[in-house]
Amino acid sequence: MEEKIISKEDLLNLCKDVIGNGHTLITPGKTEYTAVKDSSEIVLDATAKPTKASYKTFVFPKAEPVIYYKRGKNDVQLLDVDVEQKKTVILGAKPCDTNSFNILRHLFNWDYKDEFYNVREKQFIVIGLMCNFSDDFCFCTSVGSSPVSDKGADIFLVPLDENNYTLRVVTEKGGEFIKDYSKYLKAGDEVKTKAVTDTVKHPEIAFDSKQVHEWLGTNFENPKWDGVGDLCLSCAQCAFVCPVCHCFDIVDEDYNYTEGRRMKNWDGCQFGHFTLHASGHNPRDIQGKRYRQRVNHKFKYYVDKFGEILCTGCGRCSRGCAVSIDIKEIVSNCKD
Amino acid sequence: MDELRKYAAELLEKGEVAAVIGYQQVSEKRTKPIIAKTAEDCAKLVFNEYCLNNLAVYLTKARVKELRRVNGAVLKLAITAKPCDVHGIVALIQESQLKREDVTIISFNCAGVVKDFGMDFNGETLATKCVPCDTHKPLYSDMVFGEEKETPKVSDEVLAKIEAIEKMSAAERFEYFKAEFDKCIKCYACRAACPLCYCQRCITDKTIPRWVESSAHSRGNFSWNVVRAFHLSGRCIGCGECERACPMDIPLSLLNSKMVIEAKEAYSYVSGRSLETPTLVGSFDVKDSDELFM
Repeated sequence: MEEKIISKEDLLNLCKDVIGNGHTLITPGKTEYTAVKDSSEIVLDATAKPTKASYKTFVFPKAEPVIYYKRGKNDVQLLDVDVEQKKTVILGAKPCDTNSFNILRHLFNWDYKDEFYNVREKQFIVIGLMCNFSDDFCFCTSVGSSPVSDKGADIFLVPLDENNYTLRVVTEKGGEFIKDYSKYLKAGDEVKTKAVTDTVKHPEIAFDSKQVHEWLGTNFENPKWDGVGDLCLSCAQCAFVCPVCHCFDIVDEDYNYTEGRRMKNWDGCQFGHFTLHASGHNPRDIQGKRYRQRVNHKFKYYVDKFGEILCTGCGRCSRGCAVSIDIKEIVSNCKD
Repeated sequence: MDELRKYAAELLEKGEVAAVIGYQQVSEKRTKPIIAKTAEDCAKLVFNEYCLNNLAVYLTKARVKELRRVNGAVLKLAITAKPCDVHGIVALIQESQLKREDVTIISFNCAGVVKDFGMDFNGETLATKCVPCDTHKPLYSDMVFGEEKETPKVSDEVLAKIEAIEKMSAAERFEYFKAEFDKCIKCYACRAACPLCYCQRCITDKTIPRWVESSAHSRGNFSWNVVRAFHLSGRCIGCGECERACPMDIPLSLLNSKMVIEAKEAYSYVSGRSLETPTLVGSFDVKDSDELFM
């Protein structure tokens, strides 16, 4: 790991070059991460509230065609979809977002290697930014991260003073990327960086994820789950703004009688029809069972299968919930 | 607040109601719904400018209706409702989703609520639905609490925006809404938070045939948002819950407010204001204007 210093001005120059080189540059706005056309639109603020939506849509789009088809008289012709090969740089990602690819990667490379995800992730450069924001919903420290964690970032920024950032090269990919922009870098100062990161307020640890994992293993039928679903209105806000929720639905869309495409669309486990069988039977017929699934998938099943918690602690699901259901509170309650 | 808690606890104690749907404080400037079933729960009930939810949405949920069955008897449900939320309850009664005698309405004199949790209450942070609001006292209720207070006066930005959109050309208008709808991720939080979106099976969930494409692309998003606006025309009570629930900040109240204005101008009808009036789509008069028909 190598630390450098870059001035604010040069960071903007770097962005200008990135855009000039034809790459896509994405930065956090108020609602979502968006592509910027001009470096003057960039606002880097470590104290900003996390965007309402995560940036997973750039690697795992909310709706994407996976194959096109044409029906002939006697056959069906299939046409592949090419994923656009374009370097995408995300600037100013919060630590609770940077770790998302480390978690998602397992799912998209498990029994099937999802080329759509992989091609995109390969082109992605994640430039993280230390976080100096925390509210009632943040709990990154409870899921093994922190506001100063560079986990999952290729490059990590720490605001040193009003005019300078520490730029830490975290991965080889990040090192390759920054080579082209080395003219903007000056020698780093690790002591100064540490002095800054040491002052950052960490959200209190709300629960012990190992204990939660253990409790979930023996409490599938616990009556606590009945009450959990009482207030939930069964939308998918929580799943869709989540940086790591990844369920999708496959649907065919016909343009006309002979042509169409197969779509891969986000899906959410709190929808009543998510597990509705064609027979009419629904194994998760009530909201309590659906919320139990959400918690178990995140803190038990995914851990068992891939060794990672399916949660980055960003708190988006709770912050945006229309009826203020707080996952941190519910998971903290996963104990006897 | 004590009066409210006492009253609610008494309703439960006397066996008049099975549960009280209300608000509880979660932090200084945030509340969340609570379905109070015991006197202990009732001690948590609050009413203040952070009571943003329209709790009428719970009255249509099967599992909440189920709560009414207690020891073989069918009891009422009590609900704490802002005067604007009462419109939602009235609309549900108008549409035969609920009977007046099945619900105890506990209401408040209301001076408005904040746009979002965590904000201080003042003119700048007044929720957009409160700006044009003229119902500070409930039109129907079984009990009213709270003193009458003045609502901060601010200009109506939604109305100004609607007027600006009306002045656009059809192509400009299309581009404006295309950009907004493109943000939609099809999480259906708008539908979930809406008290009038009570269809047991929404048209967008029907797959054989599929009327509304489930993909969150431009066409699918236009289909969904326009279908929803049409289905709420003459029915929307203007509580703004869809817009508040939207994680992508789509200005849904522009569509719904416009529909409310149209229904009012053409038929002098506003949803959820009178139990004696039949619904707009459920009644016909030969003198009705047909200007709105294509």
